[in-house]
Amino acid sequence: MNPTEQPIKNRLPYVIPDRKEWPIYKLSKDKKNFLKEVIEKTEKSLFVKFHDAESLHNELKSMLYKEKNRLTKQAWKSDKPEESIFWSEIKKKILETDKIEDDATQYKKDQKIMHTILKHYANEIVANFEPKTHSFARNILPWVFSRLTNTAPGNRFKFLWSSKKSLYEKLNITGPIEQIRELSKKGTVIIVPTHFSNLDSPTIGFIIDSIGLPAMTYGAGINLFTLKLLSKWMNDLGAYKVDRRKKNQPYLELLKSYSAVAIQRGAHSLFFPGGTRSRSGKIEDKLKLGLLGTAIEAQRINLQKYNEETAKKVYVVPVVLNYHFVIEGDSLINQHLSIMGKERFIREKSEVTTSFKIIKLLFKFLTAKPGMNISFAKPMDVFGNEIDKEGNSINAIGQKVSIKDYFILNGELTEDKQREGVYTRKLANRIAEKFHTTNTVMTSHLIAFTAFEIFQRENKMLDIYELLRVPEDEITFDIDNLKIELERVRQKLFELRDAEKIQLSNHLEKDVTHILKHGLKNLGVYHSHLPLKKKDNNTIITQNIKLLYFYHNRLSGYDLEKLFK
Amino acid sequence: MSKNKEIYGVIGAGSFGTAVANLLAENAKVLLYARNKKTVALMQSSRIHKNQDLHENITVINDIEELTTKCNLIFPVIPSSSFSSMLDDFKNHLSPSHILIHATKGLYVEKELTNETILKKDDVLTMSELILSKTSVVRVGCMAGPNLASELALKQPAATVIASPFDEVILLGQKALTSSRLRVYGSNELMGVELAGVLKNYVAIAAGILAGLGYGENSKAMLITSGMAESIYIAKALGSNEKAFLGMAGVGDLIATCNSSKSRNNTVGRYLAEGLTIEEINEKMTEVAEGVKTVQILHALRNYNIVAPIADVMNKIIYEGVSIETGLGLLMRFPTTEDTDFVN
Repeated sequence: MNPTEQPIKNRLPYVIPDRKEWPIYKLSKDKKNFLKEVIEKTEKSLFVKFHDAESLHNELKSMLYKEKNRLTKQAWKSDKPEESIFWSEIKKKILETDKIEDDATQYKKDQKIMHTILKHYANEIVANFEPKTHSFARNILPWVFSRLTNTAPGNRFKFLWSSKKSLYEKLNITGPIEQIRELSKKGTVIIVPTHFSNLDSPTIGFIIDSIGLPAMTYGAGINLFTLKLLSKWMNDLGAYKVDRRKKNQPYLELLKSYSAVAIQRGAHSLFFPGGTRSRSGKIEDKLKLGLLGTAIEAQRINLQKYNEETAKKVYVVPVVLNYHFVIEGDSLINQHLSIMGKERFIREKSEVTTSFKIIKLLFKFLTAKPGMNISFAKPMDVFGNEIDKEGNSINAIGQKVSIKDYFILNGELTEDKQREGVYTRKLANRIAEKFHTTNTVMTSHLIAFTAFEIFQRENKMLDIYELLRVPEDEITFDIDNLKIELERVRQKLFELRDAEKIQLSNHLEKDVTHILKHGLKNLGVYHSHLPLKKKDNNTIITQNIKLLYFYHNRLSGYDLEKLFK
Repeated sequence: MSKNKEIYGVIGAGSFGTAVANLLAENAKVLLYARNKKTVALMQSSRIHKNQDLHENITVINDIEELTTKCNLIFPVIPSSSFSSMLDDFKNHLSPSHILIHATKGLYVEKELTNETILKKDDVLTMSELILSKTSVVRVGCMAGPNLASELALKQPAATVIASPFDEVILLGQKALTSSRLRVYGSNELMGVELAGVLKNYVAIAAGILAGLGYGENSKAMLITSGMAESIYIAKALGSNEKAFLGMAGVGDLIATCNSSKSRNNTVGRYLAEGLTIEEINEKMTEVAEGVKTVQILHALRNYNIVAPIADVMNKIIYEGVSIETGLGLLMRFPTTEDTDFVN
């Protein structure tokens, strides 16, 4: 943590008090035109790809097949009964156009079918922000959160009445919050967090609300909308619905357009640039370019529409979410290992499907005693330049730069998709870099990393798969040895912290005995088999080596492994 | 006069800078920047420089501000040793709207190098990386290929490569340089093309040595082929791939430089074969032979265990006083690998 930036201790007032002035409300109010624009943009790029009768018709048939499959083989409770009726209608229409011999006529009719489908999708996706219910949610949520975060296992009764002030201390929010708040008045803020758990969505939504930013446009798994209360909450936080079972191109293109048009219309947005949750437990370094590209495109379009003084600037803010345990850790690391092991077919299943399970998970997540670290990085423009107090872009050598210049060719502001593609890759690299430098090491990460590295060093001959197959009851760690190694890694972490390459939680400043104790108490506490557990005064054991590996990975990418070579 | 409204800029009035300015001048007006005011005056009055006539479209100037305000597309063509200080002079006049295509075949290292220096990969920058780190320019490219300045000056046909991650940079470069005497290829492999241009230089020193010893075509062909393989190993170790090495900037430039007695690096090799020391050679040369520094940088990267026997032996001969005979012996005894093992 940067010593000049103290963690937020209380909920901050809204930057814009009147919810009706929020960009997301304006978007919601103009929903009809907004969706029209989204669909138009989607069609524009789709019909470039599917530019003839055959390709478009084949795409429609393939969509239909996949959607029918989804409704039968991958059915979720959140699926509406009207869905199968809709797709039966579409089937009828496709069968009709199937018979048309004339290509031009068929293409035209198929375009209409595509339009109907896109409209159907768009209405499903669209966020529904209501200022009235938002106010209600805002007042009830912190209450719910604080009650939940205060609980200790076996103390269920007391938590209902205990003090609420500890909430923000547990949610350790750090970073240049005041600057981000200011920038949200000047331009469009895009928050890009790391992604480890399904519960990141509601959590980050809540955090954004806590620091007083207007609700943001963001995609959240449609399964989170099943339960009425949760659904309302998600809507109030500005979430739109993303169904990750739908993998057809028009749907994905529509999601991209949705985000793009929202950003262009000045709606603050949030998306997870890693795309899906980090399976390995590593901080993401390969980011998805699609949505990031929309930020650059929006910046260019703003500059084309308005002059540089009035054009809204797009600010990108990476955020690292850190916690001592990831509820889905077990299934994530197993998926990672089977991907790495070249097992081609991985069943796409939802770990979280029923309302009951979601609530149970959320409860577990938020009742974690030590809370979590939410570290905001310094804001940047879409080219990765830092931003000064006035919102100006400052390049790496301290010069003030005009963002318009990045789009200028021979004196003219031009659109060039390939150019923007290169800028997008650069932005992705900058975000990944910020993820690493903003990552806050917690005691649990440190002990998991160190223990696994010791285990690996003692078994040099084994590759990672063999290592993870060693029976847990054969693995023990000597506490004194572990402490020595913890100290070595910690010293290296101090160096990295001083070079601004990583951040450390306050507990890491204390002595190793405390770190070990605190780490053991918190590492993956809710797993049925613990990654690390104290056996007696001299020995620590593991009950699940794969989980230990998963938590260990959080500190990979810093070259710390070479301490054990 | 040309119909092209654009004005192209060139930084550096060495023999290659002048040749590039002449190539550009066939398509548009050119501002050629030279640091030395006396040179500028002399060039403007005599219209001849480094044995090359100056095209009528070229104006030689000494004004950085004028160059950067009038030109969007600028070609820095100066030795790697003065590239960094040039950027210091220019950085306050450059913006992200400028496009820079350099033609410098060297690497940049901030530290003063000795034979004991140890470098990390991050300490070594290509010229495009140096531009990105020291200015606000983002759209960079490089020009490389079999382009011996003396032959370009005689208007003989040739080809070159413009490399950049940005297609628009390649297209601009092609438009600016293409003429009846120059074919211009494009590539997105910026780092590969830069490294190809850089790494061929020390191979050319070795070629000069072989020529100086009076060896014939077999030895030279062996050197060129293994030199290319070695360049690819180095490029891969530095994070690039083999692609650029098989094209104009790779094997094309390697053949030209290794065969030409006009090449500076080749000349250094010939002098070494005559028994001159590097200090004596430096005194005789008017322009820098980049390969001499490149082997030193590669030697400083030795902790990465890159397989580069030719570079290693060149470093031994130039900086460690190893005799040419011993050096050649080392190379001939170096274990062979599978032929073309760099192609997957």
